[in-house]
Amino acid sequence: MDAFAQACDETLRFSSRLKKIAILGAYLRGLNDADLERAVHFLLAQPASKAPVTMGLFEAQEPKKLSVGRRPVWDAVRRVTGWDDETLRLCYGEVGDSGEAAALLLTGIAAGEPLSLEQAEQIYLRLHSKPRAEDRTAILTTVLRSHLPLTLKYFLKVMTGGFRIGLQEKMLEEAVAEATGRRAADVRGANNRLGDLAAVALAARRDELHTIKARLFHPMDFMLAKPLEAVADLDDPSQWLVEDKFDGMRSQVHCDNGRVQIYTRGHEEVTTSFPEIAEAFAMVPGAAILDGEILAWRDGRALSFTVLQQRLQRKKISQSLIESVPVVFMAYDILYRDGALTLDQPFEVRRSLLEQIPTGPRLLISKSVEGVDLDAEFEQARERGNEGLVLKRRGSLYEPGRRGGAWLKLKRAFATLDVVITAAEQGHGKRATVLSDYTFAVRSGEGFVNVGKAYSGLTDHEIRELTKLLRGLATGRYSRVMLVKPEIVLEVAFDGIQKSPRHKSGYALRFPRIARWRTDKRPEECDSLERVTELYESSLNLTASREAP
Amino acid sequence: MVVFTSHGIHLPEIDLWLDSREPVAANWISHAHSDHAQPGHGRVWATPPTMRIFKTRNPGASASILCEVKFAESWEWNGARLTAYPAGHILGAAQLLIEHKGTRIVYTGDIKLRPPMLGAPTVPVECDRLIIESTFGLPIYHFLDRDTAVGRVQRFARECLNDGLTPVLFGYPLGRGQEVLWALCQAGIPTAVHGAIARLLPEYERAGYTFPGWEPYVAATPADRAFVLVPGMRDTMQASSRDVRMAYVSGWAALDNARARGGAEELIPYSDHADFEELLALVDQSRAKRVDVVHGYTEAFARILRGRGIDAHSAQAAVARGEGEEGDDT
Repeated sequence: MDAFAQACDETLRFSSRLKKIAILGAYLRGLNDADLERAVHFLLAQPASKAPVTMGLFEAQEPKKLSVGRRPVWDAVRRVTGWDDETLRLCYGEVGDSGEAAALLLTGIAAGEPLSLEQAEQIYLRLHSKPRAEDRTAILTTVLRSHLPLTLKYFLKVMTGGFRIGLQEKMLEEAVAEATGRRAADVRGANNRLGDLAAVALAARRDELHTIKARLFHPMDFMLAKPLEAVADLDDPSQWLVEDKFDGMRSQVHCDNGRVQIYTRGHEEVTTSFPEIAEAFAMVPGAAILDGEILAWRDGRALSFTVLQQRLQRKKISQSLIESVPVVFMAYDILYRDGALTLDQPFEVRRSLLEQIPTGPRLLISKSVEGVDLDAEFEQARERGNEGLVLKRRGSLYEPGRRGGAWLKLKRAFATLDVVITAAEQGHGKRATVLSDYTFAVRSGEGFVNVGKAYSGLTDHEIRELTKLLRGLATGRYSRVMLVKPEIVLEVAFDGIQKSPRHKSGYALRFPRIARWRTDKRPEECDSLERVTELYESSLNLTASREAP
Repeated sequence: MVVFTSHGIHLPEIDLWLDSREPVAANWISHAHSDHAQPGHGRVWATPPTMRIFKTRNPGASASILCEVKFAESWEWNGARLTAYPAGHILGAAQLLIEHKGTRIVYTGDIKLRPPMLGAPTVPVECDRLIIESTFGLPIYHFLDRDTAVGRVQRFARECLNDGLTPVLFGYPLGRGQEVLWALCQAGIPTAVHGAIARLLPEYERAGYTFPGWEPYVAATPADRAFVLVPGMRDTMQASSRDVRMAYVSGWAALDNARARGGAEELIPYSDHADFEELLALVDQSRAKRVDVVHGYTEAFARILRGRGIDAHSAQAAVARGEGEEGDDT
């Protein structure tokens, strides 16, 4: 655990993703097999793993939930340091992280006994077996007295889940690849099938990634669609199959003879928010993973996303909400059926497997038609209340996590971009007390560059919510403008792109307005500067062809 | 006997002010940072380096009667005996011992206990009553000692230069800037220095410190140098096309959240203020029975001292309540 803590702390010293991966990769490479598994679990903030469940060749481990609240930690810190509550409260407030604050308070007090990963795991398991707060405080008191502050900082971060060292699972997959000398894509693919990076790391070390079989009930990455500016950009429409583009919540449903779980694009499990969809899938015979969209639905039509939003981010769903916002699952792809992954089957084969799934009032299958007159299809999709079209290339495979161009999406506005807020400003009049004007940016290399500013499109409620969040992300201030950590993703619609020296990107959007607050997206998923350049160039071509005699 | 006001500390019996930010008849300046050294007073006492920097920064300062005082040499004022002792904060920083009617009061000004890179190390002074700062008066603040900090600054700069990046270290124009530069110069690392920091180098050279090989920072300075810049240059650096890596050398760098706040990747927790342990040691070594805490986490630190059996008070709380010490009117 001492070397683990040093490696984690070292990654903080670099904002470069490659450097972080190299540091972790070097650390993981030097561990024996058992410690490699432990370290990967710890890096994923999974302190203790359940007894292995045998699944094919590899044992997949469900992360065991160890929920030690802040309370026993602070009771133990109080016992060891002797500080009063008020002092501890102030200290925690300045630091903002339990593990770090505790470690700082223990500096000069805690002894420096080494702590191995195995010992740390045993402590987590002991804590897990003692649910009573007093027992946990007693165990933690001994731990806090005994080890190096830096080790304790990470011991506590792993335990409380407050792992804020900027490590996403994708980055860890790359670190595992680096540590084992495998291709990152192979590690990612295996992890996508198995959902247990620790087991994948061991398999990678033994060069056995290809033997890892798929397993249900862990979220897989979603295949993504590339935006298409205009139907005219498509060389041969007959190569494509066409579906409506629904404006709902992209989801993945896993089911196995009555057991059902629903996941979002952010890999969150949301089954309890949609009980009627879970019930519908419980009736599906056999095992399957379906990809599709959860939609608010009435009288054979999708309702707007705003309606669906009332159901999102709620743990408890009342009967009246179920009645006032009815939802359906609109299935449009199948990734697994009865023991086999179907990702590598051509779209047409997947489509016929999908069509064999029994539908019902809550489980629909989207219509797929031949791409003949796309303009007409687009207009009809709009009339049906949907966003536009999704085009799927004949014969294409399902590529998890990729926006490779085998799926295209056609929407109405000139284009929309997913952008991240980098600065916020108070509005005027009734918006004088809230942060309602946002400067936003797209990805460029490791960072973000601004492309514009927008002040309309959100509801007052959303603006109040955003204001609270943004204040917590503040990093600095220039008179009225508050700079914020790039965290919050918006989808902005706009009418065009021009070159502009005003923003660092070199571009400015024309009439940008906020289409939607993308709570389902992380900043690293927002659009890139390359995408903006592409849009700009395509708009030039468009104008040129119009003006041509 | 001691009155805390929003603009300084007053000793009405001998009509002496300590670090007054508004013009008064007689004022002690503990060190030359501008929140402590303001012009316009009738008479001013300060150590020679403090006085020279004060005059450089305030061309009108000469209108006052300026009295330079050396460490450990006493002088009389309105029946009290005053003596300056080193405070280790920045070059010239001093504590003031006031002996009056058999009572010894020490005002620390800004202070650190561990030896600084540049300037005289603190000499603890025993007293009955201690007036002390508490900028870092919470038990989460632990700083590196001088030698470790020098090593970290040098290691950071070398690491960046080896990776083909330009190391940028920020420091305030008086104190940290010169210390960071000194650390780099000792290792022979070529360093470009912002004008506001370079401007005060003669004062340090006069005190015997050398800075071999520095050059002034200009927009066209090549990338294979370390840069020592003032904090205001941070946005310029971030927006520039240079490949830089930034370090934050500060007491606030003791916390990870300083990365987001300070916009730096490398944190080097070294300060010209005392960390928590040093503050406790300063209080212990003074053997003072009464302690007044004047800056920073005053209430928290006073409460911690009371927990250790010391009669400690937050001066800021007294000012906020609109009352002076012992009912004196401010």
